[in-house]
Amino acid sequence: MTLPLNDNVCAESVYSAIFSKYSKDLHDFLYYKFGEQFNPKDKVQEAFIKLWENCSKVTPDKAKSFLFTVANNMMLNEHAHQKVVLKYQSTKPKHYTNENPEFIMQGNEYMDQLQKAIESLSEPQRVAFLLNRIEGKKHKEIAEMLNISTKAVEKRIYGALKILKEQVEGLK
Amino acid sequence: MTQEELIKKWLDNELNASEKEAFKQLDDYDSLIKLEHSIQRFKSHEYDTQNELDATLKQLENRKTKKIIWLKPIMRIAAVLVIAMGLYFYISGLEITYQTDIAQQIETTLPDNSQITLNAASTLSFNKRTWNTNRLVNLEGEAFFKVAKGSKFDVVTSAGIVSVLGTEFNVKQRANYFEVYCFEGSVGVETPDNSYILKPGDSFRVVDGEVEKRSNATAQMPSWLSNESTFENIPVYLVFEELERQYNIEVNSIDVPKSVLFNGAFTHNNLDLALKSITIPLNLTYQIDKNIITILSE
Repeated sequence: MTLPLNDNVCAESVYSAIFSKYSKDLHDFLYYKFGEQFNPKDKVQEAFIKLWENCSKVTPDKAKSFLFTVANNMMLNEHAHQKVVLKYQSTKPKHYTNENPEFIMQGNEYMDQLQKAIESLSEPQRVAFLLNRIEGKKHKEIAEMLNISTKAVEKRIYGALKILKEQVEGLK
Repeated sequence: MTQEELIKKWLDNELNASEKEAFKQLDDYDSLIKLEHSIQRFKSHEYDTQNELDATLKQLENRKTKKIIWLKPIMRIAAVLVIAMGLYFYISGLEITYQTDIAQQIETTLPDNSQITLNAASTLSFNKRTWNTNRLVNLEGEAFFKVAKGSKFDVVTSAGIVSVLGTEFNVKQRANYFEVYCFEGSVGVETPDNSYILKPGDSFRVVDGEVEKRSNATAQMPSWLSNESTFENIPVYLVFEELERQYNIEVNSIDVPKSVLFNGAFTHNNLDLALKSITIPLNLTYQIDKNIITILSE
């Protein structure tokens, strides 16, 4: 019979490792799902504090779903049914590689339209699509984050792309 | 491979070299790349995992200290409660004690409505918890009892146990002087050597080891209740001891032989008068120096 060495996350080393592994994903997930105005960073911190308070009851392999569920519920309780706002940055994002420099900076008109289109996506589509396109998450990773199948992730992302293409002039 | 399949593979970064070429040939290629670049500007805010971890750990640290700060006053309150409860159980569970100082008398009523008057420099105690099943008081000194009718009522002194049913009696237990005086009903006295039954007017006393039982006194209550101490054939040094208990003084009577007996009374309200009433009949004189009285034989 084998027992895991750490059956809870009360050890600070385990806790820190879990933080390093999941905090950014959790932050990005909250950001793309609820928008920037609700301080996803604070919610990540609150969720991790909750994890610490319940550290004896949560095994390391359950920590991820604990964190995502807790943070998601906190957001839902505080900001249910409020409009999601995702603003684009006016300056060029620091790190991305591109093969076609002429597309780096688009006019504001195009960007405004894209913003509206993104906001019109369904929430599951938006979350999956942005995690994939911006954060470079593989379908499999997103599936693990959201606890759904890779097939469903693929469907959401492709569906989102189709809608954006339809809504933004010049994409067709 | 259809366009949709190609795009889906591209979306998951799974295109191989030849598929990449095919993807570049798509009509949508330019607009897809344009979208791909533009969408980067919707990136979430910078998230520095290490900074956030440090901030969270600091937050946890603060909470810990906050908790401790809260814990302290709670511990204090708990300690006070424990002490208070301890005192409560001590007082209510063990003994109730009445104590008089020199020149002080107190009157009290026991749980069964028996009345007790405690003379000066005396201590009386009883257990409140067991009172209902066992009427028992401990006495050191002198007290007058008016016992309510009921089960046996015991007065325990170092010189003997006085047991009654419902009556009025006085118990005096001082150094070398034990006296029980029955005013009403009947009183049983049990000394280490013997036991006696007293009827109204009877008294029992052991003075300097000498046992004496007297009867037919007519007093209705002990004289000390009306601020007077009365003695019958009592060695005068014991009278002076009582005097010391009624006035805050010290009596030096080495000069006076122990065999001298005193009959009479002294008042509790006037020291000069009290001294005169003791010394004159015995042909003694006295000197007062502050609160030390020296008795001289002539």
